Amino acid sequence: MEKTTLVEQLKTQIIEALLLEDLTPADIDPAAPLFVEGLGLDSIDALELILLLEKQYGLRVEDPKERRDALQSVNAMADYILSHTKNEG
Amino acid sequence: MHAYLNAAGLISPQRTFENDFSCTLNTQGAAILPAIEPDYKGLINPVQLRRMSRILKLGTAAAQLCINNAGGRQPDAIIVGTGLACVNDLEVFLKSVIETDEQGVSSIPFINSLHNTVAAQVARTLKIQSYNNTHCHRGASFENALLDALMLLHEKEHRQILVGGIDEFSRHYYNLLTTKVTSGEGAGFFLLSDLPAGENSVKISAVRTFYAPGEDFIPRFLAEQHTPVHHLDAALLGMNGAPGDDALYRRLIDCLFPPGTPLITYKHLCGEYPTSSAFALALAARAIAAGAFPPPAILRPGKPATPHKVLIYNHYQNCNHTLILVEKAGLM
Repeated sequence: MEKTTLVEQLKTQIIEALLLEDLTPADIDPAAPLFVEGLGLDSIDALELILLLEKQYGLRVEDPKERRDALQSVNAMADYILSHTKNEG
Repeated sequence: MHAYLNAAGLISPQRTFENDFSCTLNTQGAAILPAIEPDYKGLINPVQLRRMSRILKLGTAAAQLCINNAGGRQPDAIIVGTGLACVNDLEVFLKSVIETDEQGVSSIPFINSLHNTVAAQVARTLKIQSYNNTHCHRGASFENALLDALMLLHEKEHRQILVGGIDEFSRHYYNLLTTKVTSGEGAGFFLLSDLPAGENSVKISAVRTFYAPGEDFIPRFLAEQHTPVHHLDAALLGMNGAPGDDALYRRLIDCLFPPGTPLITYKHLCGEYPTSSAFALALAARAIAAGAFPPPAILRPGKPATPHKVLIYNHYQNCNHTLILVEKAGLM
């Protein structure tokens, strides 16, 4: 999957998983930080995003540092998914 | 033990969230009375709002209304009574457990499904970092929360306690009931203190709960409170329209309350639910402060023009019987 397509798909999935009813995909800057700044997400949201990666993409992110890097932004999530699904393939 | 009720916030099937206790909304013949909800965005931080289920919104908004009505006074402790708690969210959580075969269950339905979630959320919102308790005792849940508050105030552990009674309509629970009556829901929060805050403060003189009591528990309770029946300015009764349930109230009307005692009912205004006595307490407090009960609540008018001392009697499915004695602050 192309990264741009994946980024748009992730935005929709994040809005649904985190109940961000007031946002549309266009409101989310893929380069902006997900936590504190940007969307202002918190630790409960982090759990939901980890679950999203597991459920939607079959990826278990168990290493804390890897998890922190993967959840930096929507772009970082897309990069993590692409690199790990390519490696598996 | 007693406490002063210094402010209230009530979300109910009437327009009480606007502090309108006229109770004029016609609820005749309705099977379910849903709460009329305020615009939550004016009462709850939008960041917190997004993860809240309906009962959390009801509870948090009612608590905030109470604090607003108290002029922003900060409570030291929070105590909540709830019969069914977050039962609708529990259903969502259990369904997700089954659907995912216990693997990868989302945390939000779990957090929202706990019995003490409302008290926790209110405490988080209002930054109450001390005593925090939730009582779940079917139809006596709210009264147990009140008793807890009265004891804390008596022991002088805390000076301002936020006490709530909250329940949300549950379709599954309703379907399980063998006797169908008009079902309701609501969230009522009260700021209780050891001192009155103003001329609209109401004194909660006594609270008592009974399980399957004998015949004369009300006269005995009134005797303990040195309150002869003819000193009551009104009796607020939890009649719900079910002949079996109402027979107990009818017997009292015939045998205990003299014809001059005004009789007030409230479940035709808010519906039946385990913590409906929170609605009754708010109604009584408002009537004592305003000098009259709203006409739609009056079952039998009586002599006294202004209610100063009111007995609230409710029973839930003839198991939990509860009495709350409230009076104008400053009465001897």
